[in-house]
Formats: sequence, structure tokens, C-alpha cells
Amino acid sequence: MAKKAITQTTQPSDKKMRTRDLIYAGAFGAIYIVLMLIVVLGTSAIPILYIVAPFTVGVVCATVYELCVLKVHKFGPALILGVLFALVACSGNVLGMALAVLAALAAELIIMMGKYKSKKLFLLSFLAFNLNMVCPYTMLYFHRDEFMARSVSFYGQAFADELAKYAINGLAFIQIALALVGAAVGVLIASRLIRKHFERANIV
Amino acid sequence: MMDFSIYGDDSNALIRFDPRTKLFIFLACGVTSLYTYSGLYILLFAGAVCAVLALNGKPITALKAFLIFAVAMYIKETVDHAGSSSSVVVLIVSVLTTLVLYSLPTILSILLIVQTTRISQFLSALTAMHLPVRAVIPVAMLFRFIPTVQDEWNGIRKAMAFRGISLSFGSVLRHPGKTIEYVLVPLLFSTIGVMEELAAAALARGMDVDVKRSAYEQVRLSGADYIVMLLFAALSAAIVIMVTAKGAEGF
Repeated sequence: MAKKAITQTTQPSDKKMRTRDLIYAGAFGAIYIVLMLIVVLGTSAIPILYIVAPFTVGVVCATVYELCVLKVHKFGPALILGVLFALVACSGNVLGMALAVLAALAAELIIMMGKYKSKKLFLLSFLAFNLNMVCPYTMLYFHRDEFMARSVSFYGQAFADELAKYAINGLAFIQIALALVGAAVGVLIASRLIRKHFERANIV
Repeated sequence: MMDFSIYGDDSNALIRFDPRTKLFIFLACGVTSLYTYSGLYILLFAGAVCAVLALNGKPITALKAFLIFAVAMYIKETVDHAGSSSSVVVLIVSVLTTLVLYSLPTILSILLIVQTTRISQFLSALTAMHLPVRAVIPVAMLFRFIPTVQDEWNGIRKAMAFRGISLSFGSVLRHPGKTIEYVLVPLLFSTIGVMEELAAAALARGMDVDVKRSAYEQVRLSGADYIVMLLFAALSAAIVIMVTAKGAEGF
């Protein structure tokens, strides 16, 4: 039985995630989350950078995501990455968590449309995936007054005023646009880096 | 020399808490992190996390973290009561202290899982929760891999310093594209190497077999685990209820 299992993992046509793929997904999840936390915590002392975090994270983390999905080449890695992201970034915010998982599911569907062969759709799927960076802010959109009242006692009046300047009603759309643009820039960087380094080293 | 203790070591622990208890603390930290401004209660909460960390064999880390938390809290209280001057310094200090208060409990709970739990303990605890293998392995890998990323990152920083590439804020700002390449490419190359070794090790230990695995590691929830879980459930419930009942103005 063990022998059969081992031969199955080495066959590329196998559609199910095996242990090896689960290990890749979990490990890439760790890299993705560490980089995301570094970017967000490193920039969030300045209110405007806190709002544009979907852009910055998209630019930095695209390469990690693309390597993960290109390495596993099956249904699942983007979804696992999305669930791990939701667990760490949106815990305590059920709506945000659900939306983050939905974004990851959308990314999986885009990859599926390319039948796991089209490299363009692999790259494109990050645009959907990066929408999960908007999800931790869902509290800001739907409970704006509550959020502002909270951030007054949380960050102090000065920061809240500064934040209020940017927290206009169309913020959700601006952040979605930022996430998409960030993802697009990130994907360009990712495809260049993958072509320049990782394909030559036969990693993907 | 390689530092094995970064991958979980609880040999100095007074009480060895079950990994499930640690996961419960992690989730409780996630819920309460939205209510950081609830004054003394959150200090109590952070104190409890530090106490668990100390009992689990990391008293020095726990003490340091608690001191940082208390100092940040003290600075924030003094700044908040100093009047409504909205100078830039006050703003920055207030935001930085809040960032510490907001993220420290969660980071501590991740440290608690990462630094005091061996991967085999974690795997058998998650399996004992009757979670499917597809959920167990990625979550276990997530916590196993965070110290690896940290370790590789330190090595890359040293290598960059040897080659005279600075990672200061200014140089990052001037060459963002280059910085991303300089950091990401070696980081991904080295971690992918580690991933492949880990996958090979997992295959060699029969992780890929579809039969139920038995475990050498014994995991059992003890009385101390139940007490700690109850304590954290009560504390986070108290914080959430206090805040929602009083409204945001009450503090």
C-alpha cells in the first residue's frame, strides 16, 4: 500500500493533493504570512500606508503565491493559502474570513479554467487572490462609525482624524482597485523573476 | 552551530500544555486583539499569555514580553491623558504603542506554539481533534515553517551585508524593485530546498499512507489544560462583553 502511495505522488497526472503538496502549501503559506506581516506592520505607522497595504502586499507577495500554485499544479494550494491567511489576518472577523476564503476560491476557479496548463491564468489568478487583502478592512466599510469610534480610543484622536480623511465612502472600491493594481504589478515582477531564476533552476 | 531549540523545546517546562490548549489561546488572542483598548483587562489577558509561556519553559521571553507590554501601556495612558495636543510626535508614539499592544498577544501566542511545541506533538494533537489530513498538515507546516523562514532570513541578511547591500529604510525606498528581488529570490530558493527535504522526510515516515497512523507521542488534555482554556474563555468573554456593553466611549 505504501509503495502504491509513493508511486502516486510521483505521477504528475494525479489530480488529488498528496502529502507532498500539502507540505508545499503549508510552507508557502508560512512565507506568505511572514512577508505580509512584515509589510503591514512595517508600514502601518503612517495612516496612508495602512490604507494602501493591499497594494504593497500584492507587489511583494505575488512571487510567493505564483511559485506555490505553479509548483503544486493541482486544485487546492491557493485555497489552503487563503484559509491560512484568513486564520491569521482576519481572526475575530467572521465576515472578513468568509470573504478571504471566497477570494481564494475564485483564484482556484480561474486556475481551473486554464485546466492547470495555461500559465497566463495561473498568473491572473493572483488578481482574484489578492482581494483577500481587502477583507481585514471589512469592519471599516460596514461599521464605519463603530470603527471610527474604536480607533479614537485605540489609536488616539489625531490618528483617527487622519484616517477619517481617507476613509471616504468609496474606500472599499479604492482598496479593491489598489489590490488589483498591486496584484498586477506583483504578477509582472513574479513572472519576470520566475523566468529569470526559477525556471532556469527547474524549480517550477 | 544550528540552534535546534528554535523548532520547539519544552524540556524546561513546569507544566507541558497540550498543543490544543495553545491553539485555543491563539484563537482567543485573535478575538480579543480587536478590543485592545479595554484597559486593565487586556493587561490581565497579556499577563495570562505570558504566564502560560513562562510555565511552558520560556520564563525569560515571557518576562521580557510582559515588561514591553506594560511599558507600552503606560506610555499610551500618559500620552492619552496628556491633553489633546495633536503634534506629530504624539501621533507617532501613540500609534507605535498601539501597534505593540495590538500585535503582541497574538505574536506571543504564535511564539508559544512555535517555540514550545515539537512538530510530532502538534501533529498528534491535531489528529486527535479528528481533523482531516488535508487540514492537519498545512496548519502544522505553517507553524513549523515560521522559524525556518526567520532562520533563512537572518542568513540572507548577513550575506547581503557581506556584499555591501543595505536593507535600510532609505535604500528600500530608493530601489523597491531590486530589494524585492534581492530578498525574495534567495529566500525562496533556500526555503524550497528545505521544503523538499521535509517532504522526503514525511514520505519516509509514511505520512502518505491512507491508513490511520498510530503515534509515539502521547497527547492528553490534563486538568491544567482545562483550567487554562476556561480561564482564557472567561477572560475573552469578559473583554468582549465589557466593550460591547459600554460602547466605545466607556474607556
